[in-house]
Amino acid sequence: MRISSPLRRSAHRTPLVRALQGAVGAPNVVYLPEDLLAYEYDATIERHQPEAVVFPGGTEEVAACVRVAAEHGAPIVPRGSGTGLAGGAVPVRGGVVIVLTRMNRIIEIDPRDRVAVVEPGLINLTLQEACARYGLLYAPDPSSQRICTLGGNIASNSGGPHTLAHGSTVNHVLGVEVVLPDGRVTWFGGRQPDAPGVDLRGLFVGSEGTLGIVTRICVRLERAPEAVRTMLAVFESIDDASEAVSAIIRRGIIPVALEMLDQEIIRAVEPRLHVGYPMDAGAVLLIEVEGLREAVTEDEAAVIAVCRELHAREVRTAGTEEERARLWEGRKGGIGAIGAISPNFYILDGVVPRTRLPEVMRDIMRLSEAAGFRCANIFHAGDGNLHPNIMFDELEPGATERVLALGGQIMRVCVDAGGSITGEHGVGLEKRSYMEWIFGPADLDAMGRIRIAFGADERFNPCKMLPTGRGCGHAHASELLRHLQTPGVYV
Amino acid sequence: MTAAAADRVEAALPPERRRPAEEYPVDGLIPRIAFRPRTADEVATLLHAADAADVVVVPLGARTALRLGRPLARYDVALDTTALNRVVAYEPEDLTVTVEAGITLKALQSVLGERGQYLPVDPPPDDRVTVGGLLATARPGAWRGHLPAARDLVLGATVATPQATLVHSGGRVVKNVSGYDMHRMHTGALGAFGVIVEASFKVAPLPAGRRTFVLECAHLEQASELAFALWDRALPLRGLALLSNAAAAAAGLPAAPHVLIEGVGRAAVLHRVADAVKTQAALLHAVRGVEPGDAPWTQLRTLAGPQTGCVVRLGVPASRVAAAVEAASEAGCVAWGYLASGSVLATAASLDTSTVERLRAHAVEAGGFLQIEAADASLRATADPFATPERDLVRALKAQFDPRGTINRGRWMEGV
Repeated sequence: MRISSPLRRSAHRTPLVRALQGAVGAPNVVYLPEDLLAYEYDATIERHQPEAVVFPGGTEEVAACVRVAAEHGAPIVPRGSGTGLAGGAVPVRGGVVIVLTRMNRIIEIDPRDRVAVVEPGLINLTLQEACARYGLLYAPDPSSQRICTLGGNIASNSGGPHTLAHGSTVNHVLGVEVVLPDGRVTWFGGRQPDAPGVDLRGLFVGSEGTLGIVTRICVRLERAPEAVRTMLAVFESIDDASEAVSAIIRRGIIPVALEMLDQEIIRAVEPRLHVGYPMDAGAVLLIEVEGLREAVTEDEAAVIAVCRELHAREVRTAGTEEERARLWEGRKGGIGAIGAISPNFYILDGVVPRTRLPEVMRDIMRLSEAAGFRCANIFHAGDGNLHPNIMFDELEPGATERVLALGGQIMRVCVDAGGSITGEHGVGLEKRSYMEWIFGPADLDAMGRIRIAFGADERFNPCKMLPTGRGCGHAHASELLRHLQTPGVYV
Repeated sequence: MTAAAADRVEAALPPERRRPAEEYPVDGLIPRIAFRPRTADEVATLLHAADAADVVVVPLGARTALRLGRPLARYDVALDTTALNRVVAYEPEDLTVTVEAGITLKALQSVLGERGQYLPVDPPPDDRVTVGGLLATARPGAWRGHLPAARDLVLGATVATPQATLVHSGGRVVKNVSGYDMHRMHTGALGAFGVIVEASFKVAPLPAGRRTFVLECAHLEQASELAFALWDRALPLRGLALLSNAAAAAAGLPAAPHVLIEGVGRAAVLHRVADAVKTQAALLHAVRGVEPGDAPWTQLRTLAGPQTGCVVRLGVPASRVAAAVEAASEAGCVAWGYLASGSVLATAASLDTSTVERLRAHAVEAGGFLQIEAADASLRATADPFATPERDLVRALKAQFDPRGTINRGRWMEGV
């Protein structure tokens, strides 16, 4: 442990730091350069040092920090676990990072009314586990659910494998307590859905920490299903698997999850996790249906029939809870497995209409090949939400630039197919420049007006989401490279 | 409205878009001019002309929710959206549809139904409502809580503004987090920030089958216990309602407290639901009625959106639905509630301000709210139809998007 001399400490104790210490107590403010390192970046590669990091313990302390930052003209960046994949928590203009992880209590679970009230620093999985004790579930389950926070889920309107049937985070949030940019505390929504008035709740969810800081969350819970069937369908090609995805939906069956893993991913996952994916398969689909026993039995039979018609080599149903967990482990551990076969990789997040999947997948593979990179795909096929992972070695001169350029080309393919530049990771810093591909000047101007209405000037999570912002210039993905300091995973 | 202003607005669109103004009364007011534009651009042009002339435009669809919100401060121009009635894009295999805002839910459901799909919403009073109205009023029906609401199903929207622009948000794909979800801000906003001209939705397969069950109970508390027992069994329900004596009678059932249940799915699943209903009824000594089909649901839906009389909607926790139905009944209303959404509806030929405020206090005490869904202007002038807690931000948003109060001025609050 490094001990700093009192002299060094006082040198870094700027008036802002002293005021923050007054707001939340000295032990909850970090300001020495070596201590700030961990808060310079999130799960992306951009990094920038903040002036201070604070760990408020409650709503009033968050509000106090926001007011202090305002008085000192300091930028504010809210942060949860730092798992964001779009650079949303990177303090690109310094200032104060407000970390919500101390505020991680479950205030209340009301199993009768099916409502939970929690703090924003609560880990997604912790809420799931607490709900399971009552036979209830909180549906949104991002793949990072073991570590990501509910506050972060709200900021990015997170999805996950079960979005197909259950919807994204916004569909499960009843109300949020928010500290606005002027330090005022208010509630959007409440404990019941469809409250009178403008749906500020719906506007706030997914606003990426640019309109305020969520300090308390009320979510809707659901009764856990009576039965679940998880199937693994093995295909010779991505094309066949994509056709099966469409055919299942065409039959009027909406599985709760419909996930695809391509050959590259299978070959990364299987040797490490031994989950039972055939190494020579072209693609596998992980298909989950739930409901009453009678319903899942019929759905299972229909799904198997469709997959067989579309040339599935094999369709297997998990016979036990352990087997089911193993199949899911391959999906949820898939991204990590890529790290074992490639020095670096870049995770993309794009959306296309489901029916365009086969051609878009072909385009992605063709572009990757042309650029000289292997690309592994593991994604929410049912939603058309793609996650190509481009594998590369940053030590190879020019590789990183070419990877980011390829990422841009793939995003372009998604947009041209009628899709979007992000389905669940957010725009953040990474995709600001792509916003102009899907929105016109009037649309972006209107989004800017929302910031003004909320009193969120360029100090509030600066340089995020919208393509222009004074002091930030036009950030482009390739700019991220300039700050590259350590080898690692490019996500 | 000055003659000069009227001239400017009249010149905004071709004369063949004009409609007889007297066909568009709202709260007894007749506008000076009425237009029925045919394109989104025409809507934007009209809004801009009105904004420049400082006159107030009221967007109207099927005109089934005109008694929602505060009485209008002014009413100069009626903007009839019903000519914007095209299906822009329908991709059944993507489960997405994009439509113009003036299309009726009935027309949309008919297009979707041909492919075995539907937009799973049941707003009051029936499928006459336009899609724009569905979003702008955001009123839930019996399915809410079992199925998503319109605000959950909307994927993106285009909105015409007084600045003559068409502003887009979201997209046409089922999952999308790019930019602010402005379409959600417009949901329930009664046009405060712009007029919705186009919207995209996620649609769903039509259920393979449906069955409605009725259980007659001795009192509402028993009905609540029964409803909870069924709700807790993770059955594929689409409706679960507690009905007071009067509501049951209005729905064509015997005048006694009732639980009304709709199950959806294939035959085997519905058989399970029937068994569960039968078992719970026996356990809790309720009387099973004959299966009435859709009729009671249709009647409750109509009752929630009447052309005369009053309707209030309370939002309360599920465990307080029975008590809220009781309280509203004691206040002289025909009342019923939906367990899964905590939505309680109460109707009466007339209600006074003190009764509304008493019921509101009841809902607020339970952690909820009350909204006046329909009432004569006099009640809406004295009792706040919404009692929205966050007023400052709504004002700030209005100042950004419609600073002169051109659209629906005064519907939300003074000037908004």
